[in-house]
Amino acid sequence: MNKLRIRTVLAVGIISAFVVLVALAFASDQPVPADSQQYLARALGETGASNRVAGIYLNYRLLDTLLELLVFSVAVLGVRHYLQQSEGMSLPALSESEVLQTAVSFLSPLALLLCAFFAIFGHISPGGGFAAGVIAASGLLYVAIAHGMKATETRLNPWRLALAEKAILLLLLAFVLVPAAFGKIPLSDLLPKGTPGQLLSGGSILIYNILIAMKVFIGAWLVIAAFAQHRGEL
Amino acid sequence: MIARWILLALLPIVAGIALTQSRRLSAIIGMGLFSFMLAAVYLLMHAPDVAITEATIGAALVTAIYVLAIRRTGRLIVVADEVPSLMAREGDHITGLEYEILEGFAREIGLDLSVRFVPLRRVRWLIAHHEADMGAGGIVPLADIEGSLSATPTHLKTGVYAFPAGKAPLEAPDKAPDYEGYFSELASHCQNGTLSTVATSLDLARVLALSRTGASLGELGRVDGAFGYAFLVGKRRTELQRDYVDYLHRLRTSGRLDDMIGRYFS
Amino acid sequence: MAAIVAFILFGLGILVLVLRRDLVIKLLALGLVNAASILFLVSIGDRPGARAPIQGPGEMGILADPLPQALVLSAIVVNFAILALALVFVMILVERYHSTDSTRIEQEMAREIDEEETPCL
Repeated sequence: MNKLRIRTVLAVGIISAFVVLVALAFASDQPVPADSQQYLARALGETGASNRVAGIYLNYRLLDTLLELLVFSVAVLGVRHYLQQSEGMSLPALSESEVLQTAVSFLSPLALLLCAFFAIFGHISPGGGFAAGVIAASGLLYVAIAHGMKATETRLNPWRLALAEKAILLLLLAFVLVPAAFGKIPLSDLLPKGTPGQLLSGGSILIYNILIAMKVFIGAWLVIAAFAQHRGEL
Repeated sequence: MIARWILLALLPIVAGIALTQSRRLSAIIGMGLFSFMLAAVYLLMHAPDVAITEATIGAALVTAIYVLAIRRTGRLIVVADEVPSLMAREGDHITGLEYEILEGFAREIGLDLSVRFVPLRRVRWLIAHHEADMGAGGIVPLADIEGSLSATPTHLKTGVYAFPAGKAPLEAPDKAPDYEGYFSELASHCQNGTLSTVATSLDLARVLALSRTGASLGELGRVDGAFGYAFLVGKRRTELQRDYVDYLHRLRTSGRLDDMIGRYFS
Repeated sequence: MAAIVAFILFGLGILVLVLRRDLVIKLLALGLVNAASILFLVSIGDRPGARAPIQGPGEMGILADPLPQALVLSAIVVNFAILALALVFVMILVERYHSTDSTRIEQEMAREIDEEETPCL
């Protein structure tokens, strides 16, 4: 069997598994809050997260968030596909000034720190995985501006990054869909629900936030890299 | 409360100013500012998650992506109007005397050539605002090249045709040949016979192209004097001008310029 | 008040989308339309005397409505993804037709279609 057949079989297998699991997930029956009053009343008790918004979009409405991540991944795929250049070109450092390198040397760790904070504390303070991922990608863009795309590319290979992104996405899908197929609420209590306000509260919202942050970070960085390397005419 | 109303009232003003800018970079930065103000408004509406997400995605990421998209590196940007046999599209690629000259020039200084077709009047504005490197498309520089523009040495002699104003004899126009819109629209004006309403004077290549379409040109008459086609460059681009002058000199002395002219204007 | 501003911004965005010819400005106006819709949704959830919906169990108080905020988070991310893809297509279009003017590109496309349908004699 050559490579194309293997890939086709794999793709068809994954897609059909996805369809089956989604169908089963919708078939299962859970009492959800009906309007915002009920959301406000029940969110803290059922999810254990102080951040009610995170409790909604990472617990009650987890499937929405997942499909939104899927849309984001498809957009990243599309951008990378259409901005392929025939010759592999490497961009020189966009600027070589000392001022920029010094500034970047303390701005980019700050950006990564912010990303970690928003991702880990997303359920007790404002933030969340999406903002975290985007902030980290911007931090990486500072590094690329100061030291040049070539140096950044040798350290962070885009093909491996794309592979990691897809792996994280599959992991997230498995987290959500496999338990839902068996009628349970999508694994929302891998971690203890604890006392709200603590770090270890809110069930597996913490895990989801971290995974989403990593995925959005890789996706946004791939988009930025594709735009930075394209020598178009615009 | 008051802060929220002030910010909300400022939002349409900032958006309006940002989207009516002529330069694309100004519009992008204006929309980045709008995004920041919007994030502040979200914060004042007690939605901190939304505010953080909007600030990072709308203000930082979208602005960065737009700026990366319209940045131009490694390219020689030429803006031109489409003139047959000087710079014209044929199917998928561009041909013409000026295109060949510029292509050789770009190859020599190690850049890619990238041509953008714009109306004739816009060429000057774009060069004056440093949005493009060189302006082409059958430009006849006359006394009104000033300010931040300068003209290269001419590469081809031409003639200028103008419409007589009343019974006065034709004299050299002090403004360069000029018209609204694109050159292809002139052809349809020719058919209608309204050429004199849109163009003040025209140069030889355009007159030839228009006459080839078979339409009548009205009362265009040739103006006495020696004119030539040249390119427009910004006044402060001294290195670019110097490289081009060397290149043109080499083209002339080696006879390649005459070969090219012969191919298009035999 | 915020709803009125959202409507004004929406109208402004559509106006600029239709009136200006530059493709990049059209895309920016589309982003403005997105932002106006999101502003409207968030402004629905705001109540007088409300606080941000992040609160420990012990404190009492009126909280702002968390439901529109959760929905709008997804909307912002999806808007960005679609905008990036649209920008890519604009870049490809500009490269193909050598112009950023939308009416010019339409003329060129019409000319190409005409040339395809009537073969050269």
